[in-house]
Amino acid sequence: MMAQLILNGLVTGLLLALPALALTLIFGILKFPNFAIGSMLTTGAYAAWIGNSLLGMPLAVAAFFAALAMAAIAMLSDVLVFARLRDRGSITLLVASMGLSLILENICRFAFGNSTRNFAFDVARPIRWHGLRINHEQLITAVTVIICVILIQLLLYGSPLGRAMRAVSDNPSLAAVRGVERQTIARITWCLAGSLCALSGVLAALDRAVDPLLGWNYQIPIFAAAILGGLGSPAGAVAGALVIGLAEELSSLVLPTNYRQIVSFAVILGLLLLRTEGLFGRKAVRK
Amino acid sequence: MSATASALAVRGLRAGYGNGGDIVCNIDLDQSPETILAVIGPNGSGKSTLVKTLAGLLRPRAGTIAVTGRDVTPLSPARRVVAGLAYVPQEANIFGNLTIRENLQLATEFLRGRPGAGPAQKARVMELFPQIAARPKMLAGNLSGGQRQMLAFACALLANPEVLLLDEPSAGLSPKFVGETMDAVTRVRESGVTVLLVEQNVAAALDVADEVMVLVAGRQSLRVPAGQVSTADLADLFFARVT
Repeated sequence: MMAQLILNGLVTGLLLALPALALTLIFGILKFPNFAIGSMLTTGAYAAWIGNSLLGMPLAVAAFFAALAMAAIAMLSDVLVFARLRDRGSITLLVASMGLSLILENICRFAFGNSTRNFAFDVARPIRWHGLRINHEQLITAVTVIICVILIQLLLYGSPLGRAMRAVSDNPSLAAVRGVERQTIARITWCLAGSLCALSGVLAALDRAVDPLLGWNYQIPIFAAAILGGLGSPAGAVAGALVIGLAEELSSLVLPTNYRQIVSFAVILGLLLLRTEGLFGRKAVRK
Repeated sequence: MSATASALAVRGLRAGYGNGGDIVCNIDLDQSPETILAVIGPNGSGKSTLVKTLAGLLRPRAGTIAVTGRDVTPLSPARRVVAGLAYVPQEANIFGNLTIRENLQLATEFLRGRPGAGPAQKARVMELFPQIAARPKMLAGNLSGGQRQMLAFACALLANPEVLLLDEPSAGLSPKFVGETMDAVTRVRESGVTVLLVEQNVAAALDVADEVMVLVAGRQSLRVPAGQVSTADLADLFFARVT
C-alpha cells in the first residue's frame, strides 16, 4: 500500500516536472511567472489529439508533432504579446500571461467543445511487480520525463546555448556585451517551454483525458513545485515536482482524496512564510 | 593629433537619459595608443554615463566614437567589442551563477569575427591573471571582490581589445584590493591595450594614469598629464572654483 502510494506519487511528480521546468526556465530568463503554463499544456494535449485521432498518427509521433506545434504557438505568443511588453515589469507580463491562458483555453473550447476526448491508444493490463501495480502510462510517463530532464540538463550545463541561457538569466546586460542577444534567447526559451508543456499535456491526457481544463488541474501543483524548487532553478523544479507529487499521493493516507489540492496550497503557504527562496533557490539580490 | 593615430577618438559626444537634459555635454577626446587615461570628477559629473555611451549601452544624442580610426557609433555593445572596444561594467561585471571557466568561455564564444581572440590570447591573459586560472570550477559569485575584478578584466581581454573601458574598478574594494586592481590595470596597459579608466578613487587613478581628464557637470574641465595634477588643484576643479 505504502510502496504503491510512493510509486504513484513519484509518477505524479514526474508528470509535474516538465511544466515546472518550463515555468522555471521562463521565470529565470524572462523574469515573470507564466500563468499560461496550464493552458499551454492543454493546447499541447489537443494538438496531440488532432495528430493522433484526426490524422491517424501513432501517439509517439503525435506527441512529437504536438511539441513542434506548441513550440510554434509559444514563439508566436512571444512575438505577438510578450516581446512587446518585455521591459514593462513582471506584473504586466503576469497579467498578459493570464490573458493568453484564457485565449488558448477558449480556442480549444471553441474548436473542440467541452466534452472529454481520448487518444486512440490501447489500454494494456497493468504490470504486477512485487505486489506493485504499474500502469503502462506510468512507465511511459517516467521514461519520457526522465529522458527530457536529462536532455534539458545537458542542454543547460553542457552546451553553448545553455551557457548563453544561464548568462541571460544571470545578467542580461552583461550577456548583451558578450554578444548574447536576449531576444534570441527569449524566443528559444519559449520554444523549449512550449515543447515541454505539450509533452506533459500528452502525458497528463494519458492519465486523465483531453478536456479544456486539463492543464488547469495541474496549475497550482506546477507552481508549488517550481516555487518549492526555488523559481529559476531547473534541478530544483524537478525535485520540487517529485516532492509535491509524493506529498499529494501520501496525503490520501490522512485526507479524503478530493482535498488533495490543499497539499500544493499548503506547500506554497509554508514556503511564503518560512523560506521564500525555495529549497534550491538563492536569495535574490536586487539593486 | 589626427584621428587615425588615436586608439580612441570621440567628437562632440552628447548623451542623457529619457527626456532629461544632457548628462554628457559635447565631449571631445583623443587617446594615444597604449596609454591610460583616467576620467575623474565629482559624483554626478557624468563619468559613468560617458563610459556607458562609449560602450554602447546608451545611444548618444550626437557625436561620433571611433576606435583605431573606425567609426563604431552605430554598433551594438557586442559589435563594438568585435571592433576592439571592450568594456568592464562597474557592478555585476561577471556571471555570478556560472563557473569561472564558463565566464571565460562566454567572453568570446558569441563574438564571431574578432581577430586575435584565440587560444594564444587566452594563454596571454591567463599569464596576466594566474589566480583566475587556478580554480576553473568555482562559481564566480563566490570570488572575493578583488578576484571578481580580475575575472572581469580577464573576460574583457580575451576579446583581444584595442581599447578597454573600465568603469570604477576600485568601487567597493578594500584598500589592499584597490592596489592589486590598479597593478592589474598597469599590466593590461603593458600588454599593449589602451585603457580608459573612470575612477572615484582619485589618488589610486593618478598613480597609474598617463593622462587625466576631469569631468565636471558633463563637461571636460581639465586634460593634463597625470604628473601635473596636484590634489589642491583637483579640489578647486571638483568644486568648480576655477573656470
